[in-house]
Amino acid sequence: MLIPRKVKHRKQHHPKRSGAASGGTAVSFGEWGIQALTPAYVTNRQIEAARIAMTRHIKRGGKVWINIFPDRPLTKKPAETRMGSGKGSPEWWIANIKPGRVLFEVSGVTEALAKEALTRAIHKLPLKARIIKRSEGDA
Amino acid sequence: MADNKLVAEVRTNFGKGAARKFRAAGKTPAVIYGHGSDPRHITLPAHEIALVLRHKNALIDLDIAGTPQLVLVKSATKDVVTQVIEHVDLMEIKKGERVHVEVPVHVIGESLSGTTIDLEHKTLKLEVDATAIPEYVEAIFNKEGAGFHLLAKDIKIPAGATLDLAPDELVASVVITAAGKNEEPVAVAAEAAPEAAKASDAKAE
Repeated sequence: MLIPRKVKHRKQHHPKRSGAASGGTAVSFGEWGIQALTPAYVTNRQIEAARIAMTRHIKRGGKVWINIFPDRPLTKKPAETRMGSGKGSPEWWIANIKPGRVLFEVSGVTEALAKEALTRAIHKLPLKARIIKRSEGDA
Repeated sequence: MADNKLVAEVRTNFGKGAARKFRAAGKTPAVIYGHGSDPRHITLPAHEIALVLRHKNALIDLDIAGTPQLVLVKSATKDVVTQVIEHVDLMEIKKGERVHVEVPVHVIGESLSGTTIDLEHKTLKLEVDATAIPEYVEAIFNKEGAGFHLLAKDIKIPAGATLDLAPDELVASVVITAAGKNEEPVAVAAEAAPEAAKASDAKAE
């Protein structure tokens, strides 16, 4: 499971969900990728579930890249707790995903296998996404 | 590379408001610069320029209000979600001029089973005649095993082109996959099995 080795602040504010991704919007390493179309907080568990779904379908052939990292902690107050008395305890590690961001990439497999594997990975993610191919043109 | 002919219109309105109106009317704002001349602002037909931009380093024969101009696509800005081309940067080109461009690397052939081809350079920088830019260069594989390295000097580039990269630079390599790692002991075991059988036969004798 992906988790930061060390953090400067244990508890952070909620990340902003507005706007589109400013970087990491193209398939850079592999041949095929998953591009987010809606904003979402993706947890480290969801990233791991998507990775497992993908790698098991391609039977551990090819090569898989995870382009996102869950570096933001989210906190939660225990159930039936009165308001106040400080911020809750860290509960999840999330990656703040904005539309346009490429989340996973895959290469070394056929087009049909890559598309099926990436579709299975998308089903594990809390966002709308599409499969994109590495662009060779100027746009 | 095929010549693309497009008719451009000179643009006199600037800013995001004007640019949005152009896009709504099916035109893409663009700019032409290079050779020390002042930049010229134009609009291009959106659909046609989108088709041209599918290829890297597209050379366009523009007709700007009756004046022919040869240009090379320098860069293009695209909305990452809607995939609409928002703006195109074009560079003036003279016939016979040499330019530095990045050409995509295409993998031809395949590696051995249980391995995959890892491209270190998705594009190669070439210095080439502007009118003879190759669409791609080929990285040829012929069932090589893990550990095979394809260097920049092994790539066949078109005549007249110069590689802007050290000859010993790694372009692609064959790496073993996770599945291939599991296959290896099996292969070793299969090789070892006849020897073991022979040894047991000898003991029996």
